Amino acid sequence: MEENSNMTAERSLEIITEQIAQSRKTVSKDVGQSLCVSGLCTMGMAVVVTVINIIAGNNGFTPFGHWLWMVLPIIIWLFMRNIHKGDAHAPVNFVGALVGKTWWTFAVVGLSYFLLGNLFNFIMARLLSPQELIIVSIRIMPVIMLLMAMAVSITGHILKIHWLVWFGIIGGLAVGIGSSIGIVSSILGRLCPLSTVAAWHFIQPCPSVFLFALVGLTLPGWMLKKQK
Amino acid sequence: MQFQPLDPLLHSELRLAVMSLLISADEAEFPYIKEQTGATAGNLSVQIDKLSAAGYIEVEKTFKGKRPCTICRITDMGRHAFEAYVEALKSYLTVCKP
Repeated sequence: MEENSNMTAERSLEIITEQIAQSRKTVSKDVGQSLCVSGLCTMGMAVVVTVINIIAGNNGFTPFGHWLWMVLPIIIWLFMRNIHKGDAHAPVNFVGALVGKTWWTFAVVGLSYFLLGNLFNFIMARLLSPQELIIVSIRIMPVIMLLMAMAVSITGHILKIHWLVWFGIIGGLAVGIGSSIGIVSSILGRLCPLSTVAAWHFIQPCPSVFLFALVGLTLPGWMLKKQK
Repeated sequence: MQFQPLDPLLHSELRLAVMSLLISADEAEFPYIKEQTGATAGNLSVQIDKLSAAGYIEVEKTFKGKRPCTICRITDMGRHAFEAYVEALKSYLTVCKP
C-alpha cells in the first residue's frame, strides 16, 4: 500500500472494510492458536501425569504426578513464546482478551485451590484419625473439574459456539457430581478387579481433563484457526 | 445535497489503513501494522509520524527483551476524526448510488 490521496469514496470504504476484516481474521487466528497450544499442552500433560501415576501406584508411591500440573502454565507460556518468536505479534481484541482472562482465572484459582487443598489435607492427615480425615479432607479434583467446565462454557459463550456452552454445563455436572459420588469407581468395582479400581483412583481426573482440553480448548482453537 | 469535506489527513490509502487497523484493536505493534498494510517500513514510519503529530495516534517506543518495539494506539481525537471521516464518506456514497 502506498501513499495515495486521490481515491474515490468507494476505495476509501474498501480500505476500511478490508483492513478491519483482515485484522479480525488475524486476531481470531491468534486466539485460535493460543487455545490450540494450551489444549494440546494440557492433553499432553494429562497423558504424562497418567503414566507417572500408574508407575507410582505400581511401585507403592502416592500419585505424586499430579504436582506436575503446577508447571503446566509455564510449559504453555514457553510454547507460546517460542511460536511467536520473531513474528509480528497480533494485537489482542476484546474477544481474545476475554477468553485469555477466563482461562487465566481458571489457572490461578484451580492451581491455588490444588496447592492449598493439598496443604490442608497434609496437615489434617497428621492431626486427625483416618475416620475423621475422610469427613474433613477437601476433595480437590471434583471442584477443579467444575471450574474447568465453567471455563469451557464461558469460552463457548464468548466465541458464540453453542454446543461448547452446553458441553461445559453438562460435562461439568457429569464429571463434578460423578467424581464426587464415585460413579466410575463403583461401576469398575463391580466389573473389574481391585487393581483396576486402584489404578482409576490414581489416574483420575486425567481422562476428564484430557477430554475437556480436547473439546474445550483444542477443538474451538482449531475451528478459529481454520475459519475463513 | 452538499458534500461534507473529507479530512485530508485520513484521505490517504496508507494512513486510512493504519487508522482502520487501530480502530479495531486497542494497540498494535509496528511490525504488525507493516505486515497487514504491506507498506515499506520507511513509508509507514512517515505516515505514522504524521498521524501522531495530528494527535490521532500515540506512539510508544519501548523494548521487548533487548529488541526495540514501537506500539501505536489510537487516541480519542483519532477515534472522533475517524468517525467524522466515515460520516462524511456516507454523503458521497449516497449521491453516487444509482
